[in-house]
Amino acid sequence: MNAIVKSARAMLCLMILYVMILSFPASCRAQPKDFFEQHCIACHSAEVKKGGLDLSALKADLGNADNFARWLKIHDRIESGEMPPKDRKRPKADEIAAAAKAIGGMLGKAEQAKLAGEVRTGVRRLTRVEYENTVRDLLNLPGIPLQGELPADGSAHGFDNNSDALDISHVNLAKYIEAADRALDMAICTQPKPPSVVTQRISLANSAGFVAHVLMHGDGVLLKNKKPDPDFPPAAKHHHIDQGAHERMGSFRNGASVGLFRTEDESFHPYFIEFVTIYPGQYRIKTSFWAFQWNKGKVLPARGTEAARLSIVTLTGDGRGGGHPSTVLSYYDAPSMLETVHEFRTWLNPREIIGFNAASLAHAHTRGKDNAMGFEGPAIACDYFDVEGPIHDVWPPRSHQALFGDLPLVEFDPEASPKVKAPKRKPARQEMGAGRNRPDPEKGIWSVKSDDPLQDADRLLAKFLPRAFRRPVDAETRKVYVGKFEERLKAGDCFETAMRWTYRAALCSPDFLYHIEPAGKLDDHGLASRLSYFFWRSMPDEQLAKLADDGKLHDKETLRKETDRLLAHEKSKRFVEDFLGQWLKLRSIGANDPDRKLYPEFNQYLQDSTVAETRAYFRELLDQNLGAGYLVKSDFAMINEKLAVHYGIPGVSGTQIRKVKLPADSPRGGFLTQASILRITANGTTTSPVTRGAFVMERILGLPPEPPPSNVPAIEPDVRGAKTIREQLDKHRNDQACAACHAKIDPPGFALESFDVIGGFRERYRSIGAGDPAPRGSIDPFIGISFKLGPKVDATGNLPDGRPFSGVGEFQKLIADDRGLLLKNLARQFATYGAGRGMTFSDREEITAIVDRAQKTGGGIRTLMHEVIQSRLFATR
Amino acid sequence: MMLRTKALVFMILYVMILSLIPLPFAVAQEKKGAKDEPVREKHQVTGLFMAEREADLKETFEKIPQVTLVAIDFESAEITVEYVAAQVFPGAKPNQVIERFDNMVRTASNSTFGIKPLRTIPAEKLTRIEVPVEGLDCKACTLAAYEAVYKLDGVEQAFASFRDGKVVALIQPEKTDRAKLEDALKKKGVHVVKTP
Repeated sequence: MNAIVKSARAMLCLMILYVMILSFPASCRAQPKDFFEQHCIACHSAEVKKGGLDLSALKADLGNADNFARWLKIHDRIESGEMPPKDRKRPKADEIAAAAKAIGGMLGKAEQAKLAGEVRTGVRRLTRVEYENTVRDLLNLPGIPLQGELPADGSAHGFDNNSDALDISHVNLAKYIEAADRALDMAICTQPKPPSVVTQRISLANSAGFVAHVLMHGDGVLLKNKKPDPDFPPAAKHHHIDQGAHERMGSFRNGASVGLFRTEDESFHPYFIEFVTIYPGQYRIKTSFWAFQWNKGKVLPARGTEAARLSIVTLTGDGRGGGHPSTVLSYYDAPSMLETVHEFRTWLNPREIIGFNAASLAHAHTRGKDNAMGFEGPAIACDYFDVEGPIHDVWPPRSHQALFGDLPLVEFDPEASPKVKAPKRKPARQEMGAGRNRPDPEKGIWSVKSDDPLQDADRLLAKFLPRAFRRPVDAETRKVYVGKFEERLKAGDCFETAMRWTYRAALCSPDFLYHIEPAGKLDDHGLASRLSYFFWRSMPDEQLAKLADDGKLHDKETLRKETDRLLAHEKSKRFVEDFLGQWLKLRSIGANDPDRKLYPEFNQYLQDSTVAETRAYFRELLDQNLGAGYLVKSDFAMINEKLAVHYGIPGVSGTQIRKVKLPADSPRGGFLTQASILRITANGTTTSPVTRGAFVMERILGLPPEPPPSNVPAIEPDVRGAKTIREQLDKHRNDQACAACHAKIDPPGFALESFDVIGGFRERYRSIGAGDPAPRGSIDPFIGISFKLGPKVDATGNLPDGRPFSGVGEFQKLIADDRGLLLKNLARQFATYGAGRGMTFSDREEITAIVDRAQKTGGGIRTLMHEVIQSRLFATR
Repeated sequence: MMLRTKALVFMILYVMILSLIPLPFAVAQEKKGAKDEPVREKHQVTGLFMAEREADLKETFEKIPQVTLVAIDFESAEITVEYVAAQVFPGAKPNQVIERFDNMVRTASNSTFGIKPLRTIPAEKLTRIEVPVEGLDCKACTLAAYEAVYKLDGVEQAFASFRDGKVVALIQPEKTDRAKLEDALKKKGVHVVKTP
């Protein structure tokens, strides 16, 4: 009886499936039906419903997104050979191909029908990054900070420049108005002469700063001629008393070098606070660093080159205290006993100062009973810090010229124009008490003069609007803006104020805030804009705009040359930072702090070095046009001394990232073994093969795993050293419901178990409970160690197709061989990022074609990028 | 008779007027001469707590135009200076000169020296207190120790040297005492050596 019922049910399933398949287009009916009957229905019937899939219940209405997604999944499983499973009768390759083709055809047609008449990339506004860069380039204000004040962008398909993520609200609009005002305030020149150039020499031990205090107590010393300053003996049994008396006596202003034993921490923030920027602009910075070994009063050669960090710090509130927001400028070499001068130019905004950190030093304990005279350890000396600026090569500045061209700046005379309102001015002032630089006296109100306001406004807008809107602006549109200007003029505004009002309107208009692209194939200006936002995250420059004006950008060779030009430009570092920040999630590098007990050697210098490595490596792949295999495996790394020590690679000295050939036995090479990626894919205490595996699947291989079921709790990490994560996972993996997904997700994660939370290589897990005493290894001797060594790491595994690997090296080899898969994923990432939309099923063909073309010409990553940019995906909206 | 009397009165008045006219002129002349002539004056100086500070003091006066440091008496912390009051302190009343001079010296020395009137209390009425101390041989630390005691009410003069390990104060015993000196030093962070 049961057998009859079972066979009846099976018949019913087949009938339903048959009916369903009948609804497929005739061309693709035969194969799926036979294929399903022979290979699928036994497990995916209404009765068995393996993996939750009941083929008989599946609807053929592909206009429904859920149905489409299910069929897509079926297609992908069949195409990849994952289904039918290995332990079942295998269909022949041509059967698989035919079935996949049939379903694919059906999906393609359904999608084309859905997308018919629709644009692929929805209307999208500029992201925060794009907005800031565009204003910077438009107004020649290369360092104006704007994005921090704008609401955070969403993210879709992995990127924030995706049309699905870029909504807009009244909050955005209010913030755009504020941002436009800030930009115009900074751009418009209000004085006939440039501000006086300040030349200031500042000691690191400047008054009102933190350093003088720690010097008094022995966390550093003052040095003259590489010996303790006789006027300020190192703190010993007694430390110095009364900082004020020392400041009055000039102890910190006698030209002595400042030697610090202490790195920045929560209560210690060394700043060169005696210069607080008043006028925004370019400043020349010159400073000198060297390293030494302090030995209870003696200055001896250092252990090597130490790293000093400079940051731009934005003072908040009244500027007192520390911990103000900052951006790292760079890390600078401080070689042993050799004063090394570092000179560079940087843009500084009002209230910004330069911060210092003895970045490569550990948190040493110098506060013994003999203070500095009882301390032995590494130190970094800063001889001086010179700041000079603001430096203007033209006046009025270029920002002003971008708005007012060559119109003269004259003193505003209220008597001569009694009905005209004077422009508003906010006098420059030193807002921070600690800043010793002072503003220039300002005499009178100076403003732009126009003898023919309407004509000048029209002329200025004719130049400004096409740049701001990134495309030609017709006379009608311009007329609207001239009309706005005229309104303000009639209302009594002076020329500058009326123009400012008009510029603000332009900067808050959809033409500026949105990527305005025609539907379908992009015109030259649309293409120029996409290209420029791809590489520079900003508006096209003059050359690119001119090529668009001349209609030359659709010429393949011209487009190729422009791609290379933009990529070679300094601004392309914006692309590297922005793209990697999202594709490889580098933006989330600081999402958690590694546990200090388990990873005491971690510090900000290491973190910044890891990010710099990944960026430099990606740049190297592009510059050298290296193949897809290099995404996961390479014989070189881009590292500095900090990373070299972290990776156990000898012979690298200094702060600067450089290309280093890896030793044959090194487990490093490729993105997967870079400390940044390993850190991003871990929390602060433990690693999880699931998290790392999912990252590799999604970001590197382009095979995003299914989201975890909501009813399965996350595994709690065991940092006591009793159980490895792998042991904990095994229970989970042995559950049949979980096994299929985890068979795919876990292997990459298993291979990467050889690396800890901060990307260090490990053979045993660190533990804060049970375990053996841990050897110091490459950890700085000034760092205390309390962790122990727990269970051994097992980095072996099997790929989903069954191929085994004994560790990360073998895993890399296996993955690196699948160049097509790697290239396809990268092409998809480039296309998603470039087109501002997610790639769908019907784009697969084009992506495959891109990859095929790239592989025919060597398969290099730069070649792939060119192919993407030359493709329909990039050039179509 | 009437005429004679009138003439006499007139003459007397005339003589009186004549005698009066040169008087203010002469006074003005004398005053003008006093302001234009260089004067030498003695003042007490603060901040001169150790012998090496004499060089600092000389350096300070080099920054003060039109005032010449003639002599330094370290033991009594007194200096002799020469200046033309009208040039250095124009418009100052005599009682304002010290205050202005003090400001001038403080500005030039970054508030490490100061000027005050000469001590009026005879030396024999002062008591010398010596407090043994320990600390870094640092001029600024010594200034701090010196100021800790010197600013106390009743301290007329003080010396300090961590090199010599002592802070010395000349005090008015009715106003202060050793304990107050030691307290002030400890409060400043100076290690006061206990004496048996």
